[in-house]
Amino acid sequence: MGDGFALDLTLDEAHILINLVEQLLELLGDSNFEHHYSNDDPLAQLMGLGAEVPTPEDPVLLRLLPNAYADPEASADFRRYTEPTLRRHKSEALRSIRTELALIVDEIGADQLSKGGRVEELDGDTWLVALNDLRLALSVRLNIEADSFDTFELLPDEDPQKAVYAVYFWLGWLQENLLAAMIS
Amino acid sequence: MTDVDLSLDQLLDRPWVTVVWDDPVNLMTYVTYVFIKLFEFTPEHAHELMMQVHNEGRAAVTTGSREEMERDVQRLHEHGLWATLQRDDKM
Repeated sequence: MGDGFALDLTLDEAHILINLVEQLLELLGDSNFEHHYSNDDPLAQLMGLGAEVPTPEDPVLLRLLPNAYADPEASADFRRYTEPTLRRHKSEALRSIRTELALIVDEIGADQLSKGGRVEELDGDTWLVALNDLRLALSVRLNIEADSFDTFELLPDEDPQKAVYAVYFWLGWLQENLLAAMIS
Repeated sequence: MTDVDLSLDQLLDRPWVTVVWDDPVNLMTYVTYVFIKLFEFTPEHAHELMMQVHNEGRAAVTTGSREEMERDVQRLHEHGLWATLQRDDKM
């Protein structure tokens, strides 16, 4: 199943990733797993991915499950018969990388001296799709625009938003590197 | 139906197209990769379409029946690209 790619992550990086993955899984309707983050985790609050949004028009979901037609009625019909499959497809990819991340966070993390771990034999396409969905979700919360990198660079280091933007751009770097390894 | 009727039907029945829209998130390399993976375009054609999306805001990437385009849109959504389908507005 694996493509032979390996990914080295520090413990912090693995924690951030699994945190985001679990929040997005919840948003997609899948919460049947042991959580690696608690609701009072400052990172969880900063990301705000799992924030209570009572309406189904959560903009993150809308970006992940977009309208297929300009006409709302045609879109609704299309959504009715494709959305469950799409949600499941995305949840499966997130679940898959969550399992691999948990190996680092749960097992290697217990070793005080270890600074991180390696995801061995990762499936490139699964990680690509999952990473992309995480980036899309964050981009909605952060209102990412074409010039957002400039905005990020100008933020003072003390601004808590800077840490969140940094994670967003780090995910893009991860994805770019994975693509480079897969294409070569 | 005669052959002439069939040809007229084909002329008047505009095909459907799948349109991919630009967004500030998806990496150019990723969009190109998805085009190659899903539609088996050559790297050159995939790159050309990706640049069209990037520069013009949108590009029609595949064409065919409505059912075929719905399937393409679904596959593009699975990969996080923003896609819609519509009648071809050329012709």
